[in-house]
Amino acid sequence: MTSPAPASRRPAAEQAGPPPAQAPRGDGPGRVSRRRRARTGWLFASPALLTIAAVTVFPVLFSVLLSFADVRLEYGGFRILSLTGDHYAAVLSSPEWRQALFFTFGFTVVTVLLELVLGTAAALVLERLGAARGWVLAVLLLPWALINVVAAQLWGYLFNGTYGGLTWLFEQFLGHQPDILGQPASAMGAMVVVDVWKTTPFVAIVVLAGLMLIPGDVYEAAEIDGAGTWTTFWKVTLPQLRPIMAIAVLFRILQAFGIFDLPFVLTQGGPGTATESLAILGYKTLFQNLAIGRGAAVATTTAVIVISCCLLFLRVFRTQADEGGRA
Amino acid sequence: MALSRRTLLAGALAAGAGLTSGCAGKPLDTLLTQAAQVPRTPATLTWWVSEIPARNGPVVADLIIRAFQRRHPHIHVRKSNALSATDANRAAVTTQLAGASPTPDVYLGDTTWPAQFGSNSLALPLQTLLPKDFWTSYPAALRRVSEYRGAVYALPFYTDSAFLFYRKDLLAKHGRPVPRTWEELLRTARTIQRAGDAAYGFLWQGSVSESLTCNVAEFLADAQAPVLDGAGRVALDGAGAERAFALMREFTETGVTPSTVATYVEADSQDAFTGGRGVFLRNWSYAWGNAADRSASKVAGRVGVAPRPGFEGAGPRGVSCAGGWSNFVNPNSRHLGAAVAFARFCAGEEAQMILLKHAGVIPAMEEVLTRPEARAVGDPTLTRVRELHLVARPVQTPYYPQVSKALYTRANAVIGGRATPAQALRAARADIRTALEGRAL
Repeated sequence: MTSPAPASRRPAAEQAGPPPAQAPRGDGPGRVSRRRRARTGWLFASPALLTIAAVTVFPVLFSVLLSFADVRLEYGGFRILSLTGDHYAAVLSSPEWRQALFFTFGFTVVTVLLELVLGTAAALVLERLGAARGWVLAVLLLPWALINVVAAQLWGYLFNGTYGGLTWLFEQFLGHQPDILGQPASAMGAMVVVDVWKTTPFVAIVVLAGLMLIPGDVYEAAEIDGAGTWTTFWKVTLPQLRPIMAIAVLFRILQAFGIFDLPFVLTQGGPGTATESLAILGYKTLFQNLAIGRGAAVATTTAVIVISCCLLFLRVFRTQADEGGRA
Repeated sequence: MALSRRTLLAGALAAGAGLTSGCAGKPLDTLLTQAAQVPRTPATLTWWVSEIPARNGPVVADLIIRAFQRRHPHIHVRKSNALSATDANRAAVTTQLAGASPTPDVYLGDTTWPAQFGSNSLALPLQTLLPKDFWTSYPAALRRVSEYRGAVYALPFYTDSAFLFYRKDLLAKHGRPVPRTWEELLRTARTIQRAGDAAYGFLWQGSVSESLTCNVAEFLADAQAPVLDGAGRVALDGAGAERAFALMREFTETGVTPSTVATYVEADSQDAFTGGRGVFLRNWSYAWGNAADRSASKVAGRVGVAPRPGFEGAGPRGVSCAGGWSNFVNPNSRHLGAAVAFARFCAGEEAQMILLKHAGVIPAMEEVLTRPEARAVGDPTLTRVRELHLVARPVQTPYYPQVSKALYTRANAVIGGRATPAQALRAARADIRTALEGRAL
């Protein structure tokens, strides 16, 4: 069987409809009117643009500037003495930064993969539920709706070494009291469990939306071609879900790479520095150590890495999608 | 298009550059001249203060503000509620101060902050505004932590001191005295645990946080092993330091302390103790109030308090970190004279007596602890605090947070059995050296 051709494969000219009217040349009345329209457009858009610039563009650029700055705090404020690349040299050569990168990267890969698999499975079940879907969906969304810090605190009670429910449960099987958040491997495992519990519903709901958009006749065609359930899933469902899955994965990479609240509440980055994420390291560098330049350098490197990862993922995904389309 | 991406970028950078050039410094002499005068005109101060534990009904901060306003009717003090978590509190206040905000005018901060805040110009140096005999009323260790390079950046308010809390009933049942050494504590705890009378022997704080640094600093002081020498260089070495680290490991290895102590902050260890699971608890003085509260503690009425033990042989007993909270003055305050007057009032006798009578903390002024009112309160931590040997953490460096992190991460590895005491000490030494050179993140 062959994959259905994507809807957007029509030639560009065909999609564009009737050709636009020839734009007038010179300083004719049409050109003046277009300029005026453009100016009015900018005028109306300017409050929104200025707001975005003030709350997004400026802080980001200023943070990048600070990461290259030798900043001195003094009476009456702070002063940038000179520009320097020393903060990046200090950050990149720091074992703490490498450890934080290792943890953050590992956490992102493991949680995103698990959430994608479990979320897709949950979405496939939800799609077949019929009338009960609404209720199940509401229950499924509860963890996602919880504020991260609250969820982390709840799990913190379960993992607590003295009176935690899960500690007690494991103690019954193991015969000794486990130290779930006190050992690196189990602390990282606990962190993954909490994140998967919290975020799988998000992936499930995004994938469910994708599943519901797949036209029924595609499945009918697969059935006529004699495809079994497994083949239909791999050859029809999954290729159709790819774009929506890419969006879910992108969102999750961005969120997981910035993980802060879970380790902050559950372990404060410990044991040792085993669960110290890049965001926690940046926070400590900036707000505890008051090292403004280095803290900004940690934040900037984190942003560069996560954006690079996303771009790489999109490139790989697009290549695969194109190959899938040609097959 | 007139507004290109390049234009936007250039505009943002120019705005950033403009902002940075607009925040330059003010001469310290001018600030100190202003700070020396209590204003005669009306002024409103903002006091950044986290909740002061109350012994009975009234809100302690409000009582102090009212007392100050009775003496200075033209100065109005407004409370700004700070977070109770020390690190989050620091993050919030430094964000304001570094941005040259004139408020808060006075802020209550941890005793570990002065060197870091002083070196970053976030606190006004106050030594020239104080009488020469100012420090005679306060513990010497508190003075040491309040100063950095000869300048005073914090005025005393209240202290937190570490004690050994113990189960009187269990010691009596097994005919054991209150331990005076760690070796004795280990033996007593094991006896009581083996008899099945308590799940845990000794509870303390081992999580990767400042709580563990306090415990490590105390164990090191028990073993007379300094972290830094007089010149501020790393001195963490030798048999004493190894003995202190080995003791922490021995506690968890022998089961006297549960391995989960590696995740304990003060509240966790206190919960386990007041839940009746432990024989001994190391905690700050405020734990007495919780342990003695019948509505919150299963062991109320069966708890005693003593100074911490020491090591067998030579060495001090009753070591406690000089913890607590002091008032700092924001150098960008618009009412420096009023701010200094308020900070000094909080350190003075009237405010200290309010703390003694109404707050569940130890007033910083030593003299008020000898008053009959101190005995009348019925809190043994108030009457026994003078038996303690207060020690300063290695806070005499602006890189204290990194030094503290080096201590608590390495000690945490020893507690969890992931490093031997010797390995952890070597690693901590290297980390502290990196921190002191200003190279640690």
